[in-house]
Amino acid sequence: MNQLPIFWLKGFGVLIALIGFLAVPSWLTLPYFLHLFILALIWTILAQGQNLIQGFVGYVSIAQAGFMGVGAYFSTLVSVKLGWPVWCSIALTPLFTGLISVLVGYPSLRVKGHYFAIVTLAYNMVIFTILMTWKSLTGGEAGIPNVPRPVAIDWFGIAINFEGRSNPNYYFLVLGLAALATTLCWMILHSRVGRTLLAIRQNEPLAESVGIDVWRYKLFAFVLSASFAGLAGALYAHYIGFLNPDPFGVDQSLNAILAVILGGSGTLAGPVVGSFAVVLLPEYLRIADSYRLITYGFILVVATIFLPRGLVPMLGAAVRLALRRLGVVRHG
Amino acid sequence: MLEIVQQILNGLAIGAVYTLIALGLTVVFGILGIAHFAHGSVAMLGGYLTFAVMERWGLPFFVSMALAMIAGALAGLLIERLAYRPVRDAPHINAFIIALGLTMMVEGFNLLAFGADQVVIQTPYRAVFNVGGIAVAELRVIVIVTALSLIGITALLIRKTKTGKAIRAVAQNRNAAILMGVNVERISQVVFGISSALGVAAGALIGALLAIAPGVGESLAVKGFAVLILGGLGSVPGAVLGGVILGVSEAMAAGFISSAYKDVIAFLVMIGVLLLRPEGLLGKR
Repeated sequence: MNQLPIFWLKGFGVLIALIGFLAVPSWLTLPYFLHLFILALIWTILAQGQNLIQGFVGYVSIAQAGFMGVGAYFSTLVSVKLGWPVWCSIALTPLFTGLISVLVGYPSLRVKGHYFAIVTLAYNMVIFTILMTWKSLTGGEAGIPNVPRPVAIDWFGIAINFEGRSNPNYYFLVLGLAALATTLCWMILHSRVGRTLLAIRQNEPLAESVGIDVWRYKLFAFVLSASFAGLAGALYAHYIGFLNPDPFGVDQSLNAILAVILGGSGTLAGPVVGSFAVVLLPEYLRIADSYRLITYGFILVVATIFLPRGLVPMLGAAVRLALRRLGVVRHG
Repeated sequence: MLEIVQQILNGLAIGAVYTLIALGLTVVFGILGIAHFAHGSVAMLGGYLTFAVMERWGLPFFVSMALAMIAGALAGLLIERLAYRPVRDAPHINAFIIALGLTMMVEGFNLLAFGADQVVIQTPYRAVFNVGGIAVAELRVIVIVTALSLIGITALLIRKTKTGKAIRAVAQNRNAAILMGVNVERISQVVFGISSALGVAAGALIGALLAIAPGVGESLAVKGFAVLILGGLGSVPGAVLGGVILGVSEAMAAGFISSAYKDVIAFLVMIGVLLLRPEGLLGKR
């Protein structure tokens, strides 16, 4: 009985957040803010993927931006060079990125802990080098201009187009997909698979000793996390309309880790909060690009020392404390 | 054939520097269980400092390098005290995330203090000897000798001195060492100082041999860990072997395939070893 108010409160919070997100295009009058929100939602998909492997399984992967790049370039090249419809190429991207991540995950999951992180980082560097160097395919640093946008959908005679930046329709598209990604994570977290992943995080040798094929679960989480990153990459490329390797370097993978840690590793709302923080913080603080790296690094260190569980669990604890004080819950 | 020998020789110099990086990483990992990823960026900071001291005060290369090593050791002490010690009892993943944050901070600092242009440290060792048709650059020989002497000195410190004995004791069994009266906090400081000084030396040598630029630090750290993965953790002969393999395969890739893909080839070698022998070439199963 005592847990019931908390459950309703959580549901209520999700509902409020959803309504708030749906109303965003009508109260954000400046197109630039809508642009930032679209980017933050794309980041949410990326961070939910990062959270799957980092938060659930406890393996820090530093390849998330690399997989984002794989997805972005796959979808762009399939639509530009093969002439396939953009909707089709976006839909295929998670599958392709997942396939690539199996090749990557197979050898790297043989090592544990820190070494896994280092190996994935090496992969990110390899992906980045290939994107930079294979000029005939990727255009190198000069990039690919005029990445096509998804074609307009005809909805009962109303054409819904996705042209241009700060487009509200594109906002609803990424909002829907970010919500889908979050829901998928919720379903995994509350399933047998999710409990197994958490067991691996808490004590991998113990999980192995009770007969869990640990390796298969780790690969599952890794591949799914890469698929999310690929989808985020495709959405990013078709939104921005221009593609070069710059956003897919190691620094960006570190930012994805920061988003998860800051928001709350292993929680569902954490990556959402973290993504918005990482995208909006430099705008809010008005920090120059040259100070961004040092500021983010500092936040990462300080957050890990003083706020190791992240913003969302801290907020949750505060709410629980307040409820207990008010006598709504006795043992929250 | 001659060209293969030439490339092997080129690879040995860079491999020696990788071994130096890996040695710094492995002592920290052995004592504190931290994958000190910021090590590569600290090395780059050392390279920049060496360069700055040479430019500003006109001191010779090795004197500047020694001064930078002292500064690096102090930076290492600070990093240990301020960043790693607060999370000593937290899960290891936290220390690793701190290492990533430190990497961003040091890289950001390097960018602010020294700019984004690449820097090459000019040394007076420009002679090239011809040994049976193979060009042997004086600089490469000096780099190899310097790296090997530093590795040797460190090995002696750990093998022969009382502090070294304490370091080995903590690596073997931390709790037992504490019970025997070893001051683990002091040992952690000493280890970080040594490790960072070695890293700084490696950065200075890289700056003289190739160039230092933003982003090189991260790739250097990855290569240091690659050497450890290749050679097997905690094995100094393994680190030397791993460094040689990584350096030579990189030089071969640069010489015969394309210098743009040399990192890719180096990482593929590492991944190949992981597939066949996950415990490393000289590691214990």
